Amino acid sequence: MNNNNSKSKVGTLAEAAALIADGSRLAIGGFAIYQHPMALLRELVKQGKRELTVVGTVNGNDVDLLAGAGCLKEVETSYVGLERFGLAPNFRRAVEAGELKVVDYPEVLSFDRFRASQEAMTFWPCDYLGGTDVLAKNPAIKAFQCPITQRTLYAVPPADPDVVVLHAIAADEDGNVLFPKRHLLPQGLDLNMGRGCDVVIVTVEKIVSKGYVKRHAAQNLLPGYKITMIVEAPFGAHPCPVLGRYDTDIAHFEAYATAGKSVETFKAYLDEYVYDLPDHQAYLEKVGAHRLLNLFETDSL
Amino acid sequence: MNTSYTLAELLTVNLARSFKDREVGFTGLVTGGAAALYGTAIPLAAMSLAKEMHAPGLTILLAGWSHNPDLSALDQLPDSEFDSLLRDLPCEAHMMSYPGTWAIRRGDIDFGFSSAVQVDRVGNINSVCIGEYEHPKVRLVGPILQPEHMALFGREYVMLPHHHQRNFVDQVDFISGVGHPGGAAGRAELGLRGGGPEWVVTPKCILDFDRTKGAIRYKSVHNASDRKNPDMFFLDLDPSAVDITPPPTTEELDVLRRKVDPKKVLLR
Repeated sequence: MNNNNSKSKVGTLAEAAALIADGSRLAIGGFAIYQHPMALLRELVKQGKRELTVVGTVNGNDVDLLAGAGCLKEVETSYVGLERFGLAPNFRRAVEAGELKVVDYPEVLSFDRFRASQEAMTFWPCDYLGGTDVLAKNPAIKAFQCPITQRTLYAVPPADPDVVVLHAIAADEDGNVLFPKRHLLPQGLDLNMGRGCDVVIVTVEKIVSKGYVKRHAAQNLLPGYKITMIVEAPFGAHPCPVLGRYDTDIAHFEAYATAGKSVETFKAYLDEYVYDLPDHQAYLEKVGAHRLLNLFETDSL
Repeated sequence: MNTSYTLAELLTVNLARSFKDREVGFTGLVTGGAAALYGTAIPLAAMSLAKEMHAPGLTILLAGWSHNPDLSALDQLPDSEFDSLLRDLPCEAHMMSYPGTWAIRRGDIDFGFSSAVQVDRVGNINSVCIGEYEHPKVRLVGPILQPEHMALFGREYVMLPHHHQRNFVDQVDFISGVGHPGGAAGRAELGLRGGGPEWVVTPKCILDFDRTKGAIRYKSVHNASDRKNPDMFFLDLDPSAVDITPPPTTEELDVLRRKVDPKKVLLR
């Protein structure tokens, strides 16, 4: 740890990545192409993690990056795509090659699986899967008879990740994580994830003082006792946006989607933005201060 | 009758007429050209037109979370669900968490819109893969909210930006949203309480379903010439005796152009 305070939960990206063993079930905060902890995911790629299962809700370049770097064994989610930037090229290639298994869940049930983990339930019930291949192709979903009404219901397994990784705007060294007052569904779903796991790593734009947290106590939605490690990573979601701080780096996403078109061009992307760089600071310098500052947006906490 | 209108206006008006006052309509944020037009822009224009014409109490859910957004404040169609542009678009309510404002299983949502890569003869839809599931020829995005759209919403409008025979198949390669297999009795047997696809809307036609057999059929074609178009005959579909899609009235076109979309942000 780079901090002498025994209570401090502050660590580095390398220390955070070391908490994620090969073969882990990993839940990644953010949604589609929004607010993923990309700096930490790049560190996982750098450390050569293997055989990870990502359990998610709506995924995008987070899963695609890990798929393209060969870190994944399985993905359980409702969506993997790059929204306006098209299909997720590395994910698609890995699945079509039979190298990556997908377990497809409906979007709302993918959310409910994290509610089940939060409530320490062994399943989440639902009644609307009849006739779908979501049900037919997934032996982990079990039909049962409602003991009250005798209707057929379906027991959906909980998400139960080993580790949750999130990216947020601010936290203090005790691990109290602040959320913007006007947040949207991705930040709300981060809370469901963060509240349902014993190992929660949060990368933040800025580590703030304890006094700052106390002035914003109503926005401390993940208190310190829930958190395993805090890592300061400015622009840590880049090229994704962070609501209230910066917008999507459109040019980077376009270059990413183009690079993903072949194994060779994506290898070059990984060399350029991950393997050939010593750390996150070098990544930010490579992207460039001018580019990063142009992404700022101006909502406030 | 006004004869000068676009295809997008024709579809908008016909959808609008089918919505009732006080209903709640859900549209996602589909991106890219024709897909965005059919998946997001036409649904938004249709719901707005219905609010102006006969359904002032209708609630629009944009991207599922922005309640009754002020579309007049838009200078462009949003192409991101969750960034600052849509956050800053004035609206009546934000959904900030899950579970949130709507109780999807209670039937809060009366109708929705979805797109699909395949639709089959009973109206099942697929957005997961082409080919065998375990070794797909093309892996697509996944089921997303389609299972919920097709089971929990009151009814669904499947919006196809192209009318290609390859999008209409005998059986979809993956059922991500359930149509009307076995008709109304078949859906009941699957434990589905209502809902399912109401219409499939394409640039050529509107399709609906025989609810007893559950079979897809042409409801109307937009151009009389398509009744004889050989490209319109596939599966058991036969357009030769179907109606022409009813044209807009002068008043509908006037409200649509003057009030709903004066800046041509939606229906360019």
